Amino acid sequence: MPLSPAVRAEIGAVVGAAHVIAEPEQLRVYDCDGLTGWRATPELVVLPGSTAEVQGIVCICAREGIPFVARGAGTGLSGGALPVAEGIVISLTRMKRILEIDLASQRVVVEPGVTNLEITRAVAADGFFYAPDPSSQQVCTIGGNVAENSGGAHCLKNGFTVNHVTGLTVVLPDGEIVELGGKALDPSGPDLLGAFIGSEGTLGIATEITLRVLRKPEAVTTQLAAFGSTDAAGEAVSAIISAGILPAAIEMMDRLTIVAAEQAYHPGYPEGAEALLLVELDGIAVQVEEDTVSVDRICRACGAFEVRVARDDAERALLWLGRKGAFPAMGRMSPDYYVQDGVVPRTKLPEVLRRIGELSREHGLQVGNVFHAGDGNLHPLVLYDAAKGETEAAKTLAEAILGACLDAGGSLTGEHGVGVDKACSMPKMFSERDLEAFERLRRAFDPEGIANPGKVIPTPRLCGEVPGPYRQHPLELIGLAERF
Amino acid sequence: MPSVSSLDEAAAVLRAASARGDKVRLGADLDAGGMSRVLEHEAGDLTCTVESGIRLSALAAALGPAGQRLSLDPPGDPTVAACLAGNLSGPLRHRFGAPRDLVLGVTLVLADGTIVNAGGKVVKNVAGYDLGKLVCGSEGRLAFIGRVSLRLHPTPIAAATVVVETEDPASTTAALLASQLVPSALDVLHPGRVAVLFEGGAAAVAAQVAATRALVGGAEADEAVWAESRSRQASSAGRTSFAPGALRELLERVPAAVVRPAAGTAYLPDVAPDETPEPVRLLQERVRARFDPQGVLS
Repeated sequence: MPLSPAVRAEIGAVVGAAHVIAEPEQLRVYDCDGLTGWRATPELVVLPGSTAEVQGIVCICAREGIPFVARGAGTGLSGGALPVAEGIVISLTRMKRILEIDLASQRVVVEPGVTNLEITRAVAADGFFYAPDPSSQQVCTIGGNVAENSGGAHCLKNGFTVNHVTGLTVVLPDGEIVELGGKALDPSGPDLLGAFIGSEGTLGIATEITLRVLRKPEAVTTQLAAFGSTDAAGEAVSAIISAGILPAAIEMMDRLTIVAAEQAYHPGYPEGAEALLLVELDGIAVQVEEDTVSVDRICRACGAFEVRVARDDAERALLWLGRKGAFPAMGRMSPDYYVQDGVVPRTKLPEVLRRIGELSREHGLQVGNVFHAGDGNLHPLVLYDAAKGETEAAKTLAEAILGACLDAGGSLTGEHGVGVDKACSMPKMFSERDLEAFERLRRAFDPEGIANPGKVIPTPRLCGEVPGPYRQHPLELIGLAERF
Repeated sequence: MPSVSSLDEAAAVLRAASARGDKVRLGADLDAGGMSRVLEHEAGDLTCTVESGIRLSALAAALGPAGQRLSLDPPGDPTVAACLAGNLSGPLRHRFGAPRDLVLGVTLVLADGTIVNAGGKVVKNVAGYDLGKLVCGSEGRLAFIGRVSLRLHPTPIAAATVVVETEDPASTTAALLASQLVPSALDVLHPGRVAVLFEGGAAAVAAQVAATRALVGGAEADEAVWAESRSRQASSAGRTSFAPGALRELLERVPAAVVRPAAGTAYLPDVAPDETPEPVRLLQERVRARFDPQGVLS
């Protein structure tokens, strides 16, 4: 049902007419997020400027039963910010103040529209940084990071968004405001903060966010190791972890992405490499020195034909540019690509990468791999040409790759979120009972189901009545295996 | 009431209690005492999956030969289930976090006997709601915790403790936290002492001990201070939270405490009021009512 003029006027009165978007051509800007294959036009986009305004809008939505979707920079890759037709989009981009920098507590309090990189910029001069670093960090917002529990290359050692957010002011879908956590850790009671982070906008809207910032490490080294096969590089990842070394990051790129990144940015990656590892170590100088030698030795023992350390910050930045810019670089190789985000146990990397190679050949489409190898989080990029009618084949291949990840005891998504993209795949990882338990949590926060409906949990409307074949959940499989 | 030895048994007990309208106090009336196996330990992945009735000492013994540990050291020798339900931690909280930071996945039995899984066994995973975190601190009022997948860490090669005797622990702590040192633990044993633990390679540990002594004084000590800290934590009657930057004010307010400054947590000899704000308490109640509408888990 379209919004009535009275409701439109009431919403306009909350934020001011200048902060309401209702013109069709302007609304189209908000049609989709980074997952551009899914589009829907909202009735209205509103841009509140404060917690009180967010609350005002949400109260109207609750009273009228209007679905709402919160949105940051729209860089998400799973359609988490896809609008609901007949609903509104609440864009948090005007709320971009840094409210407090409390370095004595190692905390920063921000509004949700502040970008990820701005946090580090605000504290860098004092020797601090904000650890989670999604590749989109120049533009993606902290509010979106909270919704998705964003990761990034450097989460291997330091953890994800959920390990760095200590407090949230949340407007619940019924308009109530709660303060979860604060500057101190470990509030008593069930971990509602931990459950909210990564809930993809389905449990409410965070309007103030308290973050932990870390002291910059004493020393950092970035190593590049070139291998003759992805198998060998995968073995090296496990060998490094097994040796008790915990790098800040271990990233892997395969031949296709190496070539693409080299053409786009000329980072000077070794020629003829089938796989590259980028290993960053940080911490106490003596330890970093020791571990750098160990990583060099382990990589060579696993067959690396070249291992080198970035000489200075400029070379380090260049090596990372090739990695962080790998997705856009792939855009030059292929008219379209589809990114997956499956996770596998690190020890299964070689096996799963081989399987992806087989699947790629079977389906006749190229797959580039550039990913967070240290935590087993794959990012297979399925290359296709929509103009040649390859879209469906690409989707089928991507699904098959996710299946391989689940077969290996992994997960559908490591950091991009379920959104709409993977909602219909959830029954492959979780049973109906598991999903029903998720629904209980959702209804506790949002009894009327108006916060980002249709995301995360599959619905018959989105997925049809018959879910895909259920594979036993990894924890269930462990139980079965021991019975035999 | 029983100490169950399987998920199915726990489910049967809860189903029966639900049907009769009985109350069940998890940990007292029903516990996972008979579920104490390590179901999987994949050393190369630095993860394990255990039955929740396993005690930390038994888990440590199982992981030790692979050179790995669960970096969780609350007082006593609780079960993994108790660690999660109480969100228990000890001095290692400083660097490695609380149970909610180490849990990768859980198998729960809900109050009506339904067995559900959430999370997974991989170190990175955002599929579905994180019920593993949700039950941390739930004190047995949301669900029976049956199985838990956990993130592990390598056992450090070397460790050393520095104890600083000082009348101004707030300044000592501030200097340490502002430095680039990476302690595994940093406790204020108020009044009068700051204890710091370093772990890692032998050279790095020695370098950090020297740097600490140069920065704030103190002397190398044996690990007895950590036993003391955990014992004082165990005998504390209350807990309070504070912004880490307000350590000085906290220490002026209370005569004695074991304080984990980076977490903003202080264990106090006297009972402290519950600090949960009313709107949060109401939201907790809403969550509880959805997971246990009959109020079986009291």
